[in-house]
Amino acid sequence: MNATVTGPTNVLIVGVGGQGVIMVSKILARLSQQQGLQVKQSEVHGMAKRGGSVFSHIRFGEEVWSPTIPMGEADVVLGLEWAEGLRWLRYLKPDSGTFISDTKRIVPPFSCRDRQHDAKHGYAHHTVADIVAQVPNTFAPDATGMAIELGNERVANTILLGVLSTVMDFPVKDWLKVLPEFVPAKTLETNLKAFKAGRAWTKKPHEPDLRQTTVQAQAGPLMRRQVSLEITEEWCKSCDICVKMCPERCLALDQRQIVKLVKPQACTGCRVCEWLCPDFAIAVHVEAVPAENISVVTATEVRV
Amino acid sequence: MSDAVMPLKLTEKPAHKTTGQFEIRDYLRLDLFPHFLCPGCGHGIALRALLWAIHDLDIEKDQLAVVSGIGCSGRLSAYIDANTFHTTHGRPIAFATGLKLARPDLHVIVITGDGDCLAIGGNHLIHAARRNLDITCIMLNNEVYGMTGGQVSPTTSLDRFTTTTPMGNQEPGFDACALAKGAGATFVGREVTLQTTALKNLMQEGIAHQGFSFVEVISDCTEVYGRKNDLGSSPEMVLSQKRSILPKFDGTAVDKPFRAGDWETGVLSREDRPEYYAAYRAHCHRVLGK
Repeated sequence: MNATVTGPTNVLIVGVGGQGVIMVSKILARLSQQQGLQVKQSEVHGMAKRGGSVFSHIRFGEEVWSPTIPMGEADVVLGLEWAEGLRWLRYLKPDSGTFISDTKRIVPPFSCRDRQHDAKHGYAHHTVADIVAQVPNTFAPDATGMAIELGNERVANTILLGVLSTVMDFPVKDWLKVLPEFVPAKTLETNLKAFKAGRAWTKKPHEPDLRQTTVQAQAGPLMRRQVSLEITEEWCKSCDICVKMCPERCLALDQRQIVKLVKPQACTGCRVCEWLCPDFAIAVHVEAVPAENISVVTATEVRV
Repeated sequence: MSDAVMPLKLTEKPAHKTTGQFEIRDYLRLDLFPHFLCPGCGHGIALRALLWAIHDLDIEKDQLAVVSGIGCSGRLSAYIDANTFHTTHGRPIAFATGLKLARPDLHVIVITGDGDCLAIGGNHLIHAARRNLDITCIMLNNEVYGMTGGQVSPTTSLDRFTTTTPMGNQEPGFDACALAKGAGATFVGREVTLQTTALKNLMQEGIAHQGFSFVEVISDCTEVYGRKNDLGSSPEMVLSQKRSILPKFDGTAVDKPFRAGDWETGVLSREDRPEYYAAYRAHCHRVLGK
């Protein structure tokens, strides 16, 4: 972890837009500058509003030429979000790199495989234990959880900065001097607390207990929504509103021009058809049942 | 003041109610179904929103009085299983005023149409708004006299064809919400049937409001008005509402309309003014000593 004469120290900071990737990288860049080192920082930002992927390369040393870190050369990868951290893991130096990441999971909506409640999603399935097996120098605190305990979820990045400060060579007092330059004045106290909490976390023995899996086992049976559609055929006037408005296109008019549920599996029970039926012909019933008892959406016809 | 109506407050709704899962048949007179409205008529959607709002406000059916006039909208009161009153053309607000003064414990809701409310009953609307008696007026605006064969109404848009304007309507229409507000209504709102949940929330606020509340519902008349003006099928007409609204949130001004002729929706004005019945009782107490 030394800024040696042979090459610069490379720190890659990654996260989701809005988490403070740029702020963290500014702090680190200013700090290294104050130590009399050359610094180059480059970033991709502007995704903040979209919750997109944001990264920032920081290189500092006696002499730095390129502003970007080549793959496999990062001394530290600091992830503010779990999947983002994993995404950039291949930039880490294979044997001596340090991986620091929050275990916070921000599941993007578009990773969901369908629109059902409790949908399966394609989010990274790796647990902290999986990563420790690959990268021995892994620090994975639940920074967001710690930040919430401190009273402000947004100081999670400062907690990770505290963790980062334990693996860098800069004196602690210099870190504490730089911090007030970048955090808002009214949150300074919480940020200083967060920084110390991050440092304290690394001193605690957290061997296997704190590096446990990020996916918590759910207590009790998994509940799913059972949707059923009740269509009163005598009341339907074939106006076609439900058929055209259904976001899943699971209704159709049959040969008698009466509405019918043709794709029961696709129905999510969103109630749009029920709300927009001017003739009260559709009623959506949604109830929670244990997942193993779930059957496919059923349509029942009711005569009045 | 002992018989004055208990103020109805908007309370925090239990979670199961916000989803709209409730047995709507409990509020309907099932022997009259299927109802007489044409296929795709937006009035049915408005009726559902109203019943949903009543359900969420926990109003007992015995404590509810629905008064309606003549026209497609006038028929809706018959389908509600509560105290309902189908009155003469244009006069539902007048009947409701008498009803509310005689029975202040009832929640009085008026269902009326654009012709019923603004043409034949325009007089009653402005005076009820001026008095600020605690009734809720829900005006279903489909821009036409549908039941009588599609004549031009006070809200028909410019250049639209009706049976009495075969070359296109050249009369500017009423802005019903501006009229009600100008006449002194203390709660004024507008919503489209497409946004059923927003419509229900608006009606709920209107019913809970102490004083005269006026809610304009933009509805669609597919069979008469839509057909004559080539506005497309029922789903197309309902969906087109999405393109012609300008949502406004509780009096917050929007910069400028997207297009002239867009309807501003949401709560358009809210005012704090003495409610008429309470003021009247206080006056009686002062003058007559009882």
